[in-house]
Amino acid sequence: MPDPQSSLPFERPEELTAALREQGATPNEAADLLPALGRLHEWPAPQPAFEDTRLLVARLAKELRAQSPVRQAIHEHSQDRVAILLAIARAQVSLFRPGFWLVSALITAIGAAVVLSKLDVDQALVLRASGPLLAFLGTLVAFRGRGVRALELELACLPSPLQLAVARLAIVLGYDVLLGLALSLAFWLGDTGQVLELTLSWLMPLLLVVGLAFLLSLRLSASAAASVAYASWLAILTLTATSGLQTLLLVPELLGLGCIGVVLLIIALLRLRTDLPRLLPQP
Amino acid sequence: MQEKSDEELMAAVMSGDQRALPLLVGRYHALLLGYLYRLIGGDRPLAEDLVQETLLRVLQQRTYRSDRPFKPWVYTIATNLAKDHLKSAAVRYGSRTREEGDPLVNLSDNEASPEERALAAERSREVRAAVAGLGEEYRGVVVLRFYQGLKLQEIAETLQIPLGTVKSRLSVGVDRLRNVLSQSSRGVG
Repeated sequence: MPDPQSSLPFERPEELTAALREQGATPNEAADLLPALGRLHEWPAPQPAFEDTRLLVARLAKELRAQSPVRQAIHEHSQDRVAILLAIARAQVSLFRPGFWLVSALITAIGAAVVLSKLDVDQALVLRASGPLLAFLGTLVAFRGRGVRALELELACLPSPLQLAVARLAIVLGYDVLLGLALSLAFWLGDTGQVLELTLSWLMPLLLVVGLAFLLSLRLSASAAASVAYASWLAILTLTATSGLQTLLLVPELLGLGCIGVVLLIIALLRLRTDLPRLLPQP
Repeated sequence: MQEKSDEELMAAVMSGDQRALPLLVGRYHALLLGYLYRLIGGDRPLAEDLVQETLLRVLQQRTYRSDRPFKPWVYTIATNLAKDHLKSAAVRYGSRTREEGDPLVNLSDNEASPEERALAAERSREVRAAVAGLGEEYRGVVVLRFYQGLKLQEIAETLQIPLGTVKSRLSVGVDRLRNVLSQSSRGVG
């Protein structure tokens, strides 16, 4: 930014020439124009004194919206939302018991072992049943559901209940996706073929069940929501297996189920924000 | 600590941060005063009023987006206010002369003799008259370019005209300046 106090932005002849060339003047034209432009500094502008600026700021400050220090602090805290979310998630990790991490990994390992051992079973069916079991576990551990009456406590904290829920979801889904990557790596190393299809058979139903369970947890307790969601999925699996409609669970359909799960998650998060007054315990 | 950009300061001001306002005004007070003073032909009190009005509009408009460059935006507001003023009936019928008062000169009292001061004032009047005589559309681009140091693209955004038009107006504007100032130089010399 040019110094407005004393100088012009193009003080030296070569700077003026470059500016004239930039606007399309030839070297001869630029040389011809230099003396006239060199005289522009002979008409200086007035400079505001420090006191002038201070008075101007005082007049303008009246126009600024009055904002409480608390609201300002919250705004400053919300500047870098991703960093804050990650910080909340990091703090929330300690709330997950070791059992959650171990049992989830064990379920995944059992699914992988069944597939890799090439037993005479429907491998995809095993994965479709075991993947959502992780969602069931995650919902039980991560979400308190309605009735625990922790909402008032959460509302008193700086992170909102929505931020807490998103942070916990990020932990659960992040860990599940990590296990899914390990699973697909195991399939790839085990030369099972159809690595993508098998991985999707595990991951997409998981997304569906976690979305459904999270949505239901707004109305039910966490254990009830997780049980209803997982039981519903098992019922669908049973129906498709017994009625010969397993073609409904091929890759495109599985991707569709995963998308439905994501949509349910988004709806649940939006509902969490709007339903807060209703979720508070009634006197 | 890294200095905040104009856009960051403006976003802070819009969110009600009282600390950002003096920083933003400090950056733009002198710039806008110089711009408006030259755009309206050298009337300092009027230029000061227009600076305050420009910054008030900046604060009152709730439409600013931080992904939009601040400098061209604030210059656009200043330009439009100056245009409105120049179009007003009072100015059109010359109720307020813009030739009144001695122009500012670069020489300080300690350095200059009375003759030198008189000559500097005369030369300053010539430049002021030459810039004022450019016509509104040429004066704007010349002042933005050679007094305010805006880039060509920033001028295009400020005046909301194509880049090619900026270049052609600059070309005509500096050519007219040369014609006027070279004649007056011969006259003075």
